[in-house]
Amino acid sequence: MLPADCSRRLVAELRDALDACAERQRQLERSLRVSRRLLRTWEPAETPAPQPTPAPETSGEAPSPESTPSSQDLKELELLTQALEKAVRVRKGISKTGERHKALSLKSGSAATSATTASAPSRPSGQASCRVSETKPPRGIQQTVVPARGLPECRLLSVGDRTRMGRGSRATKPGPGPRDQQIPPSAARQAPEAFTLKEKGILLRLPMAYRKAASRNSRLWAQLSSPQTSDSMDAAATAKTQFLQKMQMTSGGPGSGLSAAAVEAEVGLLRTACLLLRRRMEEVLSADPADCMQEYRCLLTLEGLQAITEQCLHRLQELRAVVGQQLGPWPVGRRPGASLPCGGGTDPLWSPQLLLYSSTQELQTLEALRLRLAMLDQQIHLEKVLMAELLPLVGTQGPHWLALCRAVHSLLCEGGERFLTVLRDEPAD
Amino acid sequence: MPAHWTEETALKGRGHRSLGRRWRRVSTRWVIGRGPSRDGTGAVIGRWDPAAAARNPRKVSASCMGRRRRRVDRGAAVGALPEAIAALSRTLPAGPSPEIFRRAKFDRPEAAPALWQLLFRVLSPLSANGASASPAQEAQVRVVKSELHSQGYPRRALAQLPEDGSQGSRELLLALAWLLARGPLLERLLAQTRVRLGDEIPLCECEALARPGPPVPRVEADGPVDIRHLQWLMGKLRFRWRKLITSQQEQCALLGKIHSYTRGCHSDRSLGHLSVAETELLRDAEGGQQLLRRLESENVRLEAALRWRRQELVFWRWMDTVLGTCPPEASQPTFVPWIPERGAGEWELVARELQALREELRGAAEPRRAAWEARVGGWGPEWSAVQRASREAVGLELAALQRAWEQGGAAAQPHGPCRLVKSDAGASEGPGLRAAQVIEVLRSREACLEAVLCQLQRQCRQELARLAGALPGLIWILPPGR
Repeated sequence: MLPADCSRRLVAELRDALDACAERQRQLERSLRVSRRLLRTWEPAETPAPQPTPAPETSGEAPSPESTPSSQDLKELELLTQALEKAVRVRKGISKTGERHKALSLKSGSAATSATTASAPSRPSGQASCRVSETKPPRGIQQTVVPARGLPECRLLSVGDRTRMGRGSRATKPGPGPRDQQIPPSAARQAPEAFTLKEKGILLRLPMAYRKAASRNSRLWAQLSSPQTSDSMDAAATAKTQFLQKMQMTSGGPGSGLSAAAVEAEVGLLRTACLLLRRRMEEVLSADPADCMQEYRCLLTLEGLQAITEQCLHRLQELRAVVGQQLGPWPVGRRPGASLPCGGGTDPLWSPQLLLYSSTQELQTLEALRLRLAMLDQQIHLEKVLMAELLPLVGTQGPHWLALCRAVHSLLCEGGERFLTVLRDEPAD
Repeated sequence: MPAHWTEETALKGRGHRSLGRRWRRVSTRWVIGRGPSRDGTGAVIGRWDPAAAARNPRKVSASCMGRRRRRVDRGAAVGALPEAIAALSRTLPAGPSPEIFRRAKFDRPEAAPALWQLLFRVLSPLSANGASASPAQEAQVRVVKSELHSQGYPRRALAQLPEDGSQGSRELLLALAWLLARGPLLERLLAQTRVRLGDEIPLCECEALARPGPPVPRVEADGPVDIRHLQWLMGKLRFRWRKLITSQQEQCALLGKIHSYTRGCHSDRSLGHLSVAETELLRDAEGGQQLLRRLESENVRLEAALRWRRQELVFWRWMDTVLGTCPPEASQPTFVPWIPERGAGEWELVARELQALREELRGAAEPRRAAWEARVGGWGPEWSAVQRASREAVGLELAALQRAWEQGGAAAQPHGPCRLVKSDAGASEGPGLRAAQVIEVLRSREACLEAVLCQLQRQCRQELARLAGALPGLIWILPPGR
């Protein structure tokens, strides 16, 4: 058994690491749910069974599609079926024009829709817009088709207050004819053709309101991020520095000059320094000096590195001396922020830049690398913490020392994945 | 009438109650417009300034008018301060009305709660986002005080304010101004709550570190644990990472599909396809409305921020007067910052590493120096010139090395979140990073980190071998193959 305070610290560290991982997993699950739902067939968001009166909002989720239809519903379904059959009949006369026009109409319809979205009649469900056309497309050849298409649309709309139209599904009624004929009452509840992103994704168009807002948003962010230099800006900057100085002076003289945040930042810098120094040292030690001069340079480099390390240690001691015990009326708070390794103060970008990838494999490699880096960061941190706590324990020989040694070796040297074997060397006699 | 009185009257007009006659007793030491000008613009003050006149022709005629000049310009200046404050509070989350600001200058108690809440939202925006209800007043007050202290807020008067949040509005106003003056506070707040329209991938872990996530309630293991418990936790961690990586791969595949299925749908040609958020907007109209509303309110805030930038000079001048109304603090013993336990642990680790490094360097350098001295002892003076040259060269190298960390040398690395865009492999121009390049950078970083980890493990192995060697009569068989 490990001593209590050591256990507490180590368990806390490992639990922190586990929590961080779990948090990432949670966020990822959320995104996965959304993405999977998008790639499935898009159900109408509310119940497929048209309700004459708005159903009371219980949980905001779509009511179950298994709600038993009342007699009124059945009557309306009858009407619906009749209307659809009529549409099929009318359309059969026009279906000679062929499939290709239908495909064209969808595209042109969508182009027209995006232009006329603003003027589209307001629907009972109050949709912002419907992607594929429900308004009459201007194409002449579709004029005759439209009334037929419009009729079942209106029916569906009036019947279903809360029925949300699937994005492109309803209007793709000029689809294969036979399918419309065999709409059983239960299936009439659903769209005749379900909308999937795979087949109809390219037909989607963003609503005008969103496009305007998004472009305004990016323009404003660009304005905000661009470094502006004008007289008024400089004057403001000067005023700010003067204000800060005055505040410092009225608060009873200069303080220690360092805040806790600044101290943490410096400690982080020294950690990076240690890393870089060590890397250089290893480079020098592994290089094989070919001649006297190179040997001399190696020597000088090592001594120089030593001097810099001394300076860093000295600075660290200074920081330690500055940081005292918590005194005075300031309350103790928990500062969760570790020092940022990136030095985020250097001109941060407030709005994201683009990252172009060409294939799914590339994206997967990128993400895998990113996660691996995060994992390595965490492993290195844990390694240091474990080293600091466990090695002293091995140094003092207590009971079960061998087992402890073996376990510590596996944790520290093999990442907990492999174990070594210890054999007692008995003289054979 | 001193200039600032009228502007406070203008602020008063923005609120509902009149304050009575208290404002007459305000000290008149700080008056905008009198005294030497601190900068060249003076556009607000109304002195005749050709540059300002060129920028603001409306005021030219006013400043020409002799005796009426000051009053008219004061009229112009009077509107500017409430506008500036209104722009500021619109940009801030939970921003109070300009009337609150005016009352805070006179340290009115009714202005204090709103300002405590504002500072709380500003200083800990993450908890405000995640928590369903903001914490109690005392908790807010404590968080604000400790956060300000750790950032180095110089005035002690803040610490002495009561925890029920009923007083100290002037001090809070000064604290807010201090935060605004120190850095790009507004931009940072806006960026944190930015509406994400695209599929984003963070390239560095800054944000992940800055967002610790909701604290998980956890039962502390107080007793001593067996080392097998630690092994179990490590195994659990390894498993979670594996699961995370596979989930991430699945998400990438789905993203790739969504991006290619919606090719050509985006109005913005440089993006080309829809993102998950945008496709979701199309699928679920109610969610889409919410997104649109959030986007529009963010636009409002951004415009307010830009307005603030243009008008903030007036605010700083006014803040000078606020500072003037405070009694000067008695000179205090310099207080020291403190680092919580976690920071102290960090400090220990770094100290230990540096000390270990120093020992290794000493162990490497000293024998070499001795050997060198022994060899070179009798060599002639022509060597000294060569030696000096070497010394200089090495000095330059080491100085460059030192700069690498002092300047936070990560400026060259890609930083911040990026919006993913799927495009054909042929696009080599145009803005944005290319995934192939980023992959290269990440691979080199990975190699560095792996080297570090290997080196640490090697250190451990050596140390353990040394300790184990103390016990003879045992054979240690290392695990097979790496």
